[in-house]
Formats: sequence, structure tokens, C-alpha cells
Amino acid sequence: MSQAAPRVAGAEATAAIRALGLAKSFGSLRAVDDVTFDLAPGRIYGLLGPNGSGKTTLIRLLTGLTHPSAGWAEVLGTRMPSRPNLSRIGYMTQADGVYTALTVGENVRFFGAVYGVDGDEPAADALRVVDLADRGGSIVGTLSGGQRRRLSLACALIHRPPVLFLDEPTVGVDPLLRIQFWSHFRALADAGTTIVVSSHVMDEADRCDELLFVRSGKVIARGTGGEIRAQAATADLEQAFLRLGGDVEVTR
Amino acid sequence: MSRRRVLALFRRVVSEIRRDRPSLALLFIAPIVITGLVTFILRESQAPQVTAVVVNLAGPRGALVGSALGGALDQGGATVSDVADEAAARGAIADATASVGIVIGIDAASGSSLAITVITNGLDPSGEASQVAAVQRAVLAAASSASGAALPVVRHATVYGTPTDDPITTFAPAIVGFFAYFFVYILTGVSFLRERTGGTLERLMATPVTRGEVVLGYTLGFGLFATIQVAVLMLWALGSLHVPALGPLPPFSIGLGVAVNGSPVLAFLVVVLLAVGAVSLGIFLSTFARTELQIIQFIPIVLAPQFLLSGVLFPVSTLPSILRPLVAIMPLNYAVDGLRQVFIRGADLGVAALQLDLAVLAIVAVFFATIAALTIRRDVV
Repeated sequence: MSQAAPRVAGAEATAAIRALGLAKSFGSLRAVDDVTFDLAPGRIYGLLGPNGSGKTTLIRLLTGLTHPSAGWAEVLGTRMPSRPNLSRIGYMTQADGVYTALTVGENVRFFGAVYGVDGDEPAADALRVVDLADRGGSIVGTLSGGQRRRLSLACALIHRPPVLFLDEPTVGVDPLLRIQFWSHFRALADAGTTIVVSSHVMDEADRCDELLFVRSGKVIARGTGGEIRAQAATADLEQAFLRLGGDVEVTR
Repeated sequence: MSRRRVLALFRRVVSEIRRDRPSLALLFIAPIVITGLVTFILRESQAPQVTAVVVNLAGPRGALVGSALGGALDQGGATVSDVADEAAARGAIADATASVGIVIGIDAASGSSLAITVITNGLDPSGEASQVAAVQRAVLAAASSASGAALPVVRHATVYGTPTDDPITTFAPAIVGFFAYFFVYILTGVSFLRERTGGTLERLMATPVTRGEVVLGYTLGFGLFATIQVAVLMLWALGSLHVPALGPLPPFSIGLGVAVNGSPVLAFLVVVLLAVGAVSLGIFLSTFARTELQIIQFIPIVLAPQFLLSGVLFPVSTLPSILRPLVAIMPLNYAVDGLRQVFIRGADLGVAALQLDLAVLAIVAVFFATIAALTIRRDVV
């Protein structure tokens, strides 16, 4: 259960993303287990947890890609899954999810068309944001891993969604590009976009406005980096995560 | 060469294949099922029921032979009835109320001995050969009972085409249909599998696109290439471009030069409908495949039975009766029949048999498109 930070009255109405008793089981495995939270607009939320903790399933529930076994999810006031609502949501999948035989420009324009965005301008904008403006004519198969990751982000941004889910966006991305990515995310959040970023890299955690620690399908802690450190009485987020998860502390 | 490395590779291959259950099943089960099916077809193929109409144009002598022939056919389990003239006999065969017509006349060459012309449909030459053989046996039986009479001459004629037609005329429709189906299925299946495994389908499903739109978009995209492929195949099958001798080069011709009695446009329509069905089939079956190898593995299950049961190789009319219900659900069967109707019979849209073929192909295409759309989310859950 989430340890939600105190919220002002009326926050429910303005929450960009809400989950109530959200759960998903695969057979006997409870991939997401009774998750409840409200996420405010224009903030960056970090979904932190080890591999297999249920982060991707949680994102898939929030985007409506899978039906919950129990509870419900709401994005921008609309109960998910909702196909029309998907035009207001951007989703960068863990896999690159781009067409390798097409050019960079063709990929962005394709996803633009699918989202109902026409014209070359939005595509050019999206490519400019990820620094691929000069690679529009390149075949994706010839790009480096980092460039594909950037293209994947551009495809999630093409329709300027107010809500953005990024599933491990910085995996396989070099440190310099990682910094660029995070400055993009911050700029988007400042412009009002609500961003949910999943990661298992703790050093990215401090770039988020708020963290949700996910463990065995449950949100075991929530708060800013500072709040979580205080709660776990440690200066190290990694140690905090292990403590809050009930693990034996690992000494370095 | 290191024995250890070779052994390591050997072990890796064995463990990998051992865990790939579908591969394993197909490795052992598919050959058994297919060779079993072929053997069953070859052993149990039965001469189709002979329904004969007899025309006598040779007076009392002919009547005598006719009744002896009728008796012999009766004993062979055939149904025999008389009709007034050859036109009526041909009409009965065209309507499929009779499978064979027997015209008893005077042999023009000798002017005195009887000549028997056996008329069959012409759309299914190898299947009809058994009908002609049945009549020949009856003639021999009748002749031995009518001792003293000179043996009549037996000739074979067909309602559509001629019995001595270029064999490719009946074979070409079958191969055009089969290969269009085969390659469109492979292309779509592999391509859609990549969409599933490459993460693009997951991403696509996170957009407002509907499943129906995905299937329709795919059908249009691959349908375009299928249409071009069919057009090229048709030009190849029907065309015959003669290149005259040039210097040391002997004359040759490009294209199979198959004669087509009906409209090539109708033949084209039949194959395009079949190909559209193959697109949806590819999408549908990609749900059950995890690797491109597994798309190939569906060939023995999905395509081989169609090849064996749709008159491509074995005439449908002689297939064991227990397999007939299967024949009725094979889309390729309707395409091959439709193409034969157009190629050999010269059928137009007014012919009921062709209407049925087109209708079934259209229904199959819509059916598979629907279930393909329903299965798109299966692995995205």
C-alpha cells in the first residue's frame, strides 16, 4: 500500500494518474498487488524497483494495455483501458519498438499518423528534441543503440501527450545521453507533462520529483528522495530501498 | 579441432531443440501425418459414383448395345438413364446431374461398326479418367455377353476443353492458386511475427489504433504485393512471348502459354480473394509462433493438407469419402475449382459454381480477418 504524502483537499479531482486497489495476477503470481496512488500533473515520478518487481505490468495497467484483475486505473480522469484516451498518453516501451527497415523520419511520421498528428512539423520537432533532426533520412537498422533509444522517445513524444510513461528509458544509454534525456524530461514536466519513469538505477532517482518503490508488485514506499532517506534513516537510496523492502542491509 | 568445443556446441543444439516443443512435435509428427495422409489417399481413393446418361443414335443395333451396356453399368453400381440427344447429355453433365454421357453412334471411319463416345466434364481430367475406365469395363462386359457382335470403338470427349488438352491447362490453375497462397502466408506471417516480437505491436497497441484497423492496414499493404504477385503469376502462366531465333540463339518463348477460356480478370479476382485470406491467416497463426522458424513449421499443418486435398495433386472426386468434409473447408479447394471454372470452362460471373467459389473465398477472407483481429491482443496481455 502506498504511503502517500499528505494531499490537499480536491487533489483527487486534479490527479493526472490514479490507481485504486489495482492488481494483476498471472496464475498464482501477483505481478501487481493492490496498488493505490494519486499522481499530480506536471511532476516526474520514478517507479523504482528490481527487475521483475512489477514495474512494467503496472505501466501496462495504467496505459490500459492489460486489464486489471482487480481495482482500476484512471488517466486524466478517464478509466483505463480507454482507446480514445491513448491519444493523450505517450508510451516509450522497454524494447525500442521502432521499425528497423524504415527511416527515422518514416518511423516518427508513422506514429504521428497513428496518433492523428499530420504534417512534417511535429515530426521535425520531436526529432529536434532528441537530437536526431539531421538523421531523418537514415535507416533505423543502421543507427547505434543510443540513437534508437532516442528515436523511440521521439515516437512517444510526437503527439505532445500530457501524460508520458517511460519504461526504463535510459537502459543501454551512455551517461552523456542520459543527462540529455533527463533534461528533456524536466523541460517536459515544467511544461505541464506528467511523467512516470521506471528504472532500476538508483542514481536516477534524485532526478525525480517523487519516488515510488516497487517490490513484489506492491508500492512499499513513496516520497521525495529526501523523505525516503529520512524514513529509512540512511543517506544511501540503495540502502533505503533494501531496508524498506525488509532485506538485510548490504555493507559495502 | 577441439573435441570439447564440438561437444559443447552439440549439447547446446540438443538442449535448445529439446525445449522447442513445437519444433520437436513437427520434426516427428508432421512427416508421419503427411506421409500417412498421402498413403491413405493413394490406397483408399475410390472411383466416384458413375451417373451415366445414354444417347442412342445407331438405331436398333445401338439400342441392343445400349441396354447391354446399361445392364453392365448397373451391375457396376452406376445409375443409368436415357436422354434424347448429345446436347441433352452435355447439358446434364454441365449441370452435374450426370457424371458421364455415353453416345452410341456409327463409326464414321468404318461406316458400319458402332462407335461409343464417352463424354465427361473436362474440369477434372484425372478424376474423370476413372469414369471413362468404368464405361470401358462396362463395354467389355457388355460385348462379352453379346457374343458375335464386333467390338465397338470407344472414344472420349469432354464438355469443356478436350481430353487431349495440354495437361498444364488443368494443372496451371492449381499451381497459381497454391503458390500465391503459400508465399503470401509466409510473407505476412513472418512480418507480423516481427511486429509482435520487435515490440512495435506493443507500442502500436498503446496508440488509439484499433485491432480492426491493424488487420485492414496489413491486408491492404500485403494485399498490394499479393495483387502484384498474382498479376505477374497470371502473366507468366497465360502469356507466351515468342522470341524468334537470333544468331546462334534458338527461338524460345517466355511464359507458360496456358490457354484460358474465360476472363483472366475473373481468374485474377479468385486468386486475390485467396491471397487476402492468406494475409489474415498469416496474422492469425503468428499468434501461435514465437520464432520465424515456427511460422515455417505451420506449413505442414496448414498448407500441406490443402495441397493434398484441394485437387492440386490428387483429383478431389476420387479422394476417400472420409476426407470429403475436410475438402469442403479448404480455401485452396475453392480457388483451384474457381480457376478451373474460368480457365477451362470459360465460366463468367453467371455460373453458379464460380459464384459459390468466390463467395466461399470472400467469407473465408472475412472470417480469418475477424479472428486475426481478435487474436492480436492475445500476447499483449
